[in-house]
Amino acid sequence: MLSRVADSLYWMGRYLERAENITRLLLVTEDFSTETHGLAEDLAQTAWKDMLAIFPSAQLSREVAPFAPLSMPYLHAFFIDGSNPYSIHFSLRRARENARSVREALTLEVFLALNEVFRSLEAYERKGMMDLPAFRDALGATRKGIFTVVGAIEHTSTRDEGWRFLKLGESLERSLRSALVLRAKLPALLAAEARGDAPLYYTQWRSLLRGLSSLENYRRVYGARLEPNLVIGFLLFDPDSPRSLRYGASIVRDYLAAISGPAALTAPARIVGKLHADLRYDDEALMSRGDFADLLDRVVAELAKAHDAIATQYFVT
Amino acid sequence: MKWVPETRAFDEAFDKTGAPRQHYRPLVSILESFTQDEIERRERLQKLSLIDQGITFTVYGEKEGTERIFPFDFVPRVIPAREWERLQAGLVQRVTALNLFILDVYQGQKCLKDRVIPPELVLSRKEYKRELLNVTPPRQIFTHVVGTDVIRNDKGEYLVLEDNCRCPSGVSYVLENRNTLNRVFPEFFKYYGVRPIKDYPNLLLDTLLHTAQRSSEKPVVVILTPGMANSAYFEHSFLAREMGIALVEGRDLIVEDNYVYMRTTSGKQKVDVIYRRIDDDFLDPLTFRRDSMLGVPGLVNVYREGNVALANAPGAGVADDKSVYAFMPALIRYYLGEDALLPQVPTYLGLRPQDFAYIRDHARELVVKTTGDSGGYGMLMGPFASKREIETYVGQMKKNPGNYIAQPLIELSSHPTYTEGKFEPRRVDLRPFILYGESVRVLPGGLTRVALRPGSYVVNSSQGGGSKDTWVLASKDGA
Repeated sequence: MLSRVADSLYWMGRYLERAENITRLLLVTEDFSTETHGLAEDLAQTAWKDMLAIFPSAQLSREVAPFAPLSMPYLHAFFIDGSNPYSIHFSLRRARENARSVREALTLEVFLALNEVFRSLEAYERKGMMDLPAFRDALGATRKGIFTVVGAIEHTSTRDEGWRFLKLGESLERSLRSALVLRAKLPALLAAEARGDAPLYYTQWRSLLRGLSSLENYRRVYGARLEPNLVIGFLLFDPDSPRSLRYGASIVRDYLAAISGPAALTAPARIVGKLHADLRYDDEALMSRGDFADLLDRVVAELAKAHDAIATQYFVT
Repeated sequence: MKWVPETRAFDEAFDKTGAPRQHYRPLVSILESFTQDEIERRERLQKLSLIDQGITFTVYGEKEGTERIFPFDFVPRVIPAREWERLQAGLVQRVTALNLFILDVYQGQKCLKDRVIPPELVLSRKEYKRELLNVTPPRQIFTHVVGTDVIRNDKGEYLVLEDNCRCPSGVSYVLENRNTLNRVFPEFFKYYGVRPIKDYPNLLLDTLLHTAQRSSEKPVVVILTPGMANSAYFEHSFLAREMGIALVEGRDLIVEDNYVYMRTTSGKQKVDVIYRRIDDDFLDPLTFRRDSMLGVPGLVNVYREGNVALANAPGAGVADDKSVYAFMPALIRYYLGEDALLPQVPTYLGLRPQDFAYIRDHARELVVKTTGDSGGYGMLMGPFASKREIETYVGQMKKNPGNYIAQPLIELSSHPTYTEGKFEPRRVDLRPFILYGESVRVLPGGLTRVALRPGSYVVNSSQGGGSKDTWVLASKDGA
């Protein structure tokens, strides 16, 4: 297929996944912040500041009104501020622009669904968001809208090369973002262990799992008890959870193989294959070493390298 | 529901006594059976569906929101079978002659030698491409897709207003309008046998494949678009999707060893036919405009070698020229030995001194146009212009008289159009689409454009125009 079209579909997949990630993280962080604000304001503050580490060049533009809840400037910046390169508005606009530039490669259902979710977002921007319940409501509706797009892709797209590039973008973005969430939260969470306040401590682990759509999946495997080591093991190495790093790397690897054909070993396939092998076969050693910051930095770096290699291999001809 | 009568023009739906014409009777009764609330609800549904589907066009020179929907009026235009047959025969004749004329201009120039048309008139046009002299396109077809604009005068006669042999657009709206009307007013179709049009993408692909080299087993056909910023981008993308072919931009194509390839994820792939929706001037910076960022360097040379087919063939624009238009009846007689079946609008040519003087002195009564522009740009509507506007325009004309033509103002026919609770008459034209492949075929109907502003004669989408679904009736009883 055309390199330009493959490129646009890849980015459409990335932006769509990114928009869903931001939506979910905002909802979870807002829950956490409301719950802990009165108990431990510093924790609530940190949870919001982590957003800036997960989305490195994001910007907070808005001045906050006195007495406004802590969340307001973040919600505004990450939801409807179209000038922030990591807002939902920005990501969905880019997803739609990419879709519009390759509309002939998508099904009508996919385009309609994407158009609709973007238009409702524009309406929120026009009307403005007055308070937290309004934000929550709109975020929930947007998340549902994004799922409709993803569902339309799943249900109506033919599994051709274009679809594989879209899914490649989606899976790479998912792995990269999960690694960044873990990088931002894990070290502080592990250091905080000693501090004592058990319920608050577990609230943080729970919201880490929720932030990665993994709370229920974790419970299915380990039950309701949140054991830090089990949580970490689950998020890094679980073979079946869609947001574990190991699973993510295997999916990226599979799409790359489907694109190049099983016989060819391309540069991006080498990078991702090696990363996957580390996560797959070295899990025990990595767990016992416990230097998760180093591991996560490596995962982020390798995925960034994989992205560059994909661009060189397929988009620049 | 209230129907506002038309007082000056020929009305498509009502005769002079105010009674609905025979082929409009069922439609008028159905519409009268609706309450205003019901109609408004349907209209809202229809607008929403256009926005949701992203059926838009792009407006140039506007800062905010360049994407707009093309307004659609749900009162369809109905053309009886026999009326259409006559129109269709005239269009087939005209397009056949147009193609022969273009072929002749680039191959022998007999019509110029025989003085059927003044040579300087043809050779001085910027649409005449000297670089392509003696280059014959595959199967001698220049005009694969033509959109000929037709209007009706105050007697209801069909007149040809202009030909578009370059990249006529609008066909996607024809197809989408039918879809929309099917969904929003299914009742209409119970009482009318309307000739289907959804086969168009298939016919278009056949037309394009017909020009491919015989040697290619499975010819690769692509659409070349200037990109998302182009006003007709929706249509380019729509047609690519409907035909199941790749939509490419100039940067996706590359010329090597006198063949055209597209850049794909698995390397280069040879392209056989390019349906290009980009003007000649931007096609190839090595041959035409050197500053073109949209084209493909070397493309024209590949075409010259016969290694790629271009639709429409470059150089075809010479027939679009509004002064060439004035000679069409003579050219039809010259090439086909027949009289033109479709009359056209009398035209004064700026390049004839006596005509120019007439235009200058009678600008108040005339519609003056530049010969090369389209889309309603660069036009003077004498009867509606202020004295000052006319003086400025005439001043401009004096600098380059050959660049202008003028025509009397034709009372375009009107058609009931829904406006705020009433059906009011609004001016319409018609752009049928003609495909030149193995034979010359006309899509039944075409794009009816409607001037939505009361009293306006300008139907262009860029200037406040909308469109209607256009029905050609299958049965002959309505004639």
